[in-house]
Amino acid sequence: MTAAATSPRAIVPAASEAHRRAARSARIRGVVICVLALIAFGFATNTMGDKVTFKFWLTEQGKAFIEIPTSPGVLWILAGLTTGLTGLWQLWKGASAAWRRWLILWLPFWVAAIVGTMLAGKTATLTNLFAGTFEYAFPISMGAFAAIICERSGMFDIAVEGKLLVGACVGSIAGSMCLQVLGPETGAVVGPIVGPAFAALAGMGIGLLMAWLAIRYKVDQIITGTVVNFGALGLTNFVYLRVLQTYTDYNTPPTIERIQIPVLSQIPVLGPILFQATPYVYVGWVVMLILTYFIFKTRWGLRLRASGEYPQAAGTVGINVIAIRYRAMLLAGAIAGFAGSYLSLHSAGSFQMNMSAGKGFIGIAAMIFGAWNPIAAFGAALVFGFADATQQLLSTLGVDIPPQFLASVPYVLTIVVVAGLVGRVRGPAMAGQPYEQG
Amino acid sequence: MRLELRDITKQFPGVLANDRISIAADRGKVLGLLGENGAGKTTLMNILSGLYRPDSGEILIDGKPRVFDDPAEAISAGIGMVHQHFMLVPVFDVVESVALGSEPVTGVARTFDRAVARKRVQELSVQYSLDVNPDAKIEDLPVGVRQRVEILKALYRKSDILVLDEPSAVLTPGETEELFGIIRGLAAGGTSVIFITHKLNEVLEVADTITVLRRGRVAGTVLPNETSREELANLMVGRDVELTVARGEAHPGEVVLELKDVFVRNDRDEMAVKGATLEVRAGEIVAVAGVQGNGQTELVEAITGLRHLDSGHITIDGTLVDQAKPRKVADMGVAHIPEDRMRDGLVKAMTVAENYILDSYHREPYSKGGRFDRDAIAREAAKGVQEFDIRTPSIETHVGSLSGGNQQKVIVAREFSRPVKLVVASQPTRGLDVGSIEYIHRRIIEQRDAGAAILIVSTELDEVLALGDRVAVMFSGQIVGVLSSEQATKEAVGMLMGGVH
Amino acid sequence: MSGLRRRLRPLVIPFLAVISAFLVGSIFLIFTDIPALQKLLAGNPLDFLVTAVGNVVKAYTALLTGAFGDPGKFVDAFRQGTPEAWATAFRPISETLVAATPLIFTGLAIAVSFRSGVFNIGGDGQFVLGALGATAMALLLRDLPAPITLVGALLAGVVFGMAWGFIPGFLKARTGAHEVITTIMLNYIALQIVQLALRTPFMRPATGSEPISKVIDFARVPQLIPLPGLRLHWGFIVALIVAALVSYFLFRTTKGFELRSAGLNLTAARYAGMSAGGSIILAMVVSGALAGLGGAFQVMGTVTQMSNDINSGYGWTAIALALLGGTRPGGVVAAALLFGALNNGGHEMQIETSIPLDLLIFIQALVIMFVAAPDLVRQIYRLKPKGDETGAPAEEGAAA
Repeated sequence: MTAAATSPRAIVPAASEAHRRAARSARIRGVVICVLALIAFGFATNTMGDKVTFKFWLTEQGKAFIEIPTSPGVLWILAGLTTGLTGLWQLWKGASAAWRRWLILWLPFWVAAIVGTMLAGKTATLTNLFAGTFEYAFPISMGAFAAIICERSGMFDIAVEGKLLVGACVGSIAGSMCLQVLGPETGAVVGPIVGPAFAALAGMGIGLLMAWLAIRYKVDQIITGTVVNFGALGLTNFVYLRVLQTYTDYNTPPTIERIQIPVLSQIPVLGPILFQATPYVYVGWVVMLILTYFIFKTRWGLRLRASGEYPQAAGTVGINVIAIRYRAMLLAGAIAGFAGSYLSLHSAGSFQMNMSAGKGFIGIAAMIFGAWNPIAAFGAALVFGFADATQQLLSTLGVDIPPQFLASVPYVLTIVVVAGLVGRVRGPAMAGQPYEQG
Repeated sequence: MRLELRDITKQFPGVLANDRISIAADRGKVLGLLGENGAGKTTLMNILSGLYRPDSGEILIDGKPRVFDDPAEAISAGIGMVHQHFMLVPVFDVVESVALGSEPVTGVARTFDRAVARKRVQELSVQYSLDVNPDAKIEDLPVGVRQRVEILKALYRKSDILVLDEPSAVLTPGETEELFGIIRGLAAGGTSVIFITHKLNEVLEVADTITVLRRGRVAGTVLPNETSREELANLMVGRDVELTVARGEAHPGEVVLELKDVFVRNDRDEMAVKGATLEVRAGEIVAVAGVQGNGQTELVEAITGLRHLDSGHITIDGTLVDQAKPRKVADMGVAHIPEDRMRDGLVKAMTVAENYILDSYHREPYSKGGRFDRDAIAREAAKGVQEFDIRTPSIETHVGSLSGGNQQKVIVAREFSRPVKLVVASQPTRGLDVGSIEYIHRRIIEQRDAGAAILIVSTELDEVLALGDRVAVMFSGQIVGVLSSEQATKEAVGMLMGGVH
Repeated sequence: MSGLRRRLRPLVIPFLAVISAFLVGSIFLIFTDIPALQKLLAGNPLDFLVTAVGNVVKAYTALLTGAFGDPGKFVDAFRQGTPEAWATAFRPISETLVAATPLIFTGLAIAVSFRSGVFNIGGDGQFVLGALGATAMALLLRDLPAPITLVGALLAGVVFGMAWGFIPGFLKARTGAHEVITTIMLNYIALQIVQLALRTPFMRPATGSEPISKVIDFARVPQLIPLPGLRLHWGFIVALIVAALVSYFLFRTTKGFELRSAGLNLTAARYAGMSAGGSIILAMVVSGALAGLGGAFQVMGTVTQMSNDINSGYGWTAIALALLGGTRPGGVVAAALLFGALNNGGHEMQIETSIPLDLLIFIQALVIMFVAAPDLVRQIYRLKPKGDETGAPAEEGAAA
């Protein structure tokens, strides 16, 4: 930890002891990875005979497509090769190898190989799988972004779930009222803007409430989060059953059509996956990029991070930590509320009870998994989305794997990450602690 | 730029921290502010840096009175504070840490213009020979370099007045020399420097003027070439020691506690105890003097099993306790009176009785087979309250509502209620009234006469001199001297405390 | 201050919290009362108020009678004297206590964890797995005499709950993993496990493909009141006994003392020789056991059939109960009875006035909010400020 100091410092034995231990665990790791490679090759020989066909739409759903017949064995060989290379490299480089980063290299091949094996004998349309991954990842990642902003400012946020729910409800109602008040033509144009906008406002309101309770009344932030989740569920269910079920006019928002991005959507194979999605997905990417830039490159981001890591340091140079935290909660609420409107305005076409179904918590998991970095959190959301989309694909194709296994993936991964089993992931140091100014 | 503080007074509940203090610092000069802990130095500096408002008195910059409502105003008035506990975000790099709060920005998104900031940081670093790598992460930097980053922070904001609060507390002698060079360079460049310390040598070496604070007042202002270490030590520790209790003769027996070459790290992974060697015998009191922060806390934690040793050995009654757990150490007959009674010693919301059994609840007669014997607890607690004269409405009163003295008595009663071979007491009379101090001192001497070995760690020189059959002094993680009670005069101990040996 | 006033003082905030929550709930009731609102829009504000407020009164009255009983029915029962009439009169109270039973268990579970400085948000998962374990064991032992099957099932529920509590406890003690995240994640994993288990032939009933288990009425927990059709069973009494045991454990045993000390001041507890990690694990294990037992009783006594819906948010409600009850077992029982009354009465309210009982979930959330922000309540009602213990983990002890 300490750089080479100019003064006689600690005891020499401790240092080399640590070195020896690190070298030894690196060697074990290398051997384990190599063994995994051999296992992959073993699976390859087993499954060489099976066939699986991957199908991709070329430029548009339902039109031209290409099919790639292959065998799971091929995928296993690829997995084995990449794993083996990583293992050998680990053994050669020793303790200094950044093995965690290399996971991105060989793990996907294992996933592909496993999925391929499960799909043996079938034809799978992967376009939908990948496009579905991005769709599923949208509310998750937005939830993660909201939580990241909160936590980076020093506030604990477990209320993403409630904000999503309220956003979904408000968004649907606002959109529907647009149709009612402005008529079908104008309403269909204005609704898709007004709905999400009101959803964002509702989210901001919740954020404000939470910030107020936590900062002004020093209520424990886990409790405020619980209150919001609980209350949002009760309130939205209540509103649905009392009002929306009977007066369905208030729950028939205008639909938000998919947008095909010109030029890009015509790229073979990739076009239908990436560029023919609902506008929400595109907004998600933009938010991700803007947020990442702002957090790490701007003054706002610097002060935000200081408030979350060491608010006293910020306070002593004259930064108003309380104001930063309030603003962060407002912004996070807006993002989460907006994401909630996706659930009702796109996915289902109307608000249904408990629509969020845990996505808020998976968003938090994505945040942790992505080490409080929006781009990494997006990646984590994609991983979770992939698990979900795969499970859907498997059940559509009649593969007999219990969906519960794949559905548990996000949760198990989060526990693994939180428990530091893949290296310590450390959140903003002062998240959740009330800050006393002066 | 002349800075003057005139008649600054600040009262806290129960203590007059600053009592009409007046100091002055001229442009390009170094003012050394010397004083023990509790002398009021930090409070004074917090007033100067805008964290506190004085109850009365004024701050004058170039003759004009200034009022600071918050640190930002003090900063913009040109006052740069380098705190004892660094205000640096560990995951930031140097550029970010220095620029925080005064960041240069460009563009509509207020992008942090890192290049501009970095250039300025680099310039300053070179100009003042600070030699800091702008791209290094704070958490990777050794303490000495972090301090220089704090100095950079002040320079970056064009501070005319730089206040350094005990800067050498965390430095090695070599790093301290480098720091002095930097300070001289700053002064030569026109910055006024206020250098707060308890170390006599340093203040003699680097200051142009020395003001000594004692118990909230100015004890004297001298020039370094017109004074001596002895005079400074005298000014620093002050009035005659009043022996409040008759200590009587000690009859030391076998060695009970032995420390051999003990090295202990603190929470920031720095070496706090750097080779401490000490012996405490049965029937004697060894009082360890020293300013807070010289490793005493970590040493006590190591002895009582709360902290691991990096190397070295600790033996209690012949048994090696290097990595023992607190309960095992306590079971060996060790009583521990912790430094911070509210944080470490008592559970505020629990009753006197519950606190009384906090460390022995698992033993008979308090419990058997995991179940409490309420009557036995009440009986013993009542006995303790009686014996130790604890003023409390009942044993069921919450300990948080007792006075400080009585709270401490609860701890003392608890620790002394079983036979002890070794007593380790840290700041045993901190924040107590005279009556309680007297009482606790008396009980400690009683234990000594009953044959226990006593180790007392105290920043109160009076207490050390009153109780110590032998006086050890801890400085910079080492035991720099062990004096017999005849040798232990105020001056001698004061000098050792100030690092002169 | 007189003894009675001193006893009542800690009740002031919770009482006002409940009142305030209901008031806010009424506002939402009024403003979603579309027929009444239509009257307002038609220019009839008086009409609107009368209708709206009248509806609120009707709703809350239904709530009360649904929770405790209709005096009229009692009169009928007296007159008719038949067991059926008496059963009808007592049914609301019986259902209230039935609703309160799982809440007592989970509330105790969370109270124990809060007292120890650990935030166990995993009550749902521990409850559900306890129910699953009980079901599985009951099916396994079905050919044995009923009492043995029952006891075995209950024990299995406890063990499953303990295991599910041990995992986050162990992770926190060893790696510092934040128990809020791990317990929430485990809740979801538990749901998946239950879904998976309900698809196995072992659990599934012979016909039908719904995710429910076979009926477990062969080892049912005995009925408490010998009147036809009353669901109240001995589980309620056991819950009360368990509450007393938890009280004994917390306040009369050494382990309980360790947990409480760790929750109030972890540093002082360490200095006094207690093991921080041990306390954390013990707290989570006990907490899980209690929740698991609650789940076991729910399936063996109340619903007699394991399904996905066996848990109606008991884990989350338990947090409210623990706070409301000041984390004292007695307070938790009282709060559980209150919430049981609300939940049960809510059913009745829903039947009579078609007001969805989700309103009560919302009201319960508001109750938590007000209890957790006592200064807010004091401000609203202009009370004198005072140091107040809501019972949530002290800041030094909890890793919030």
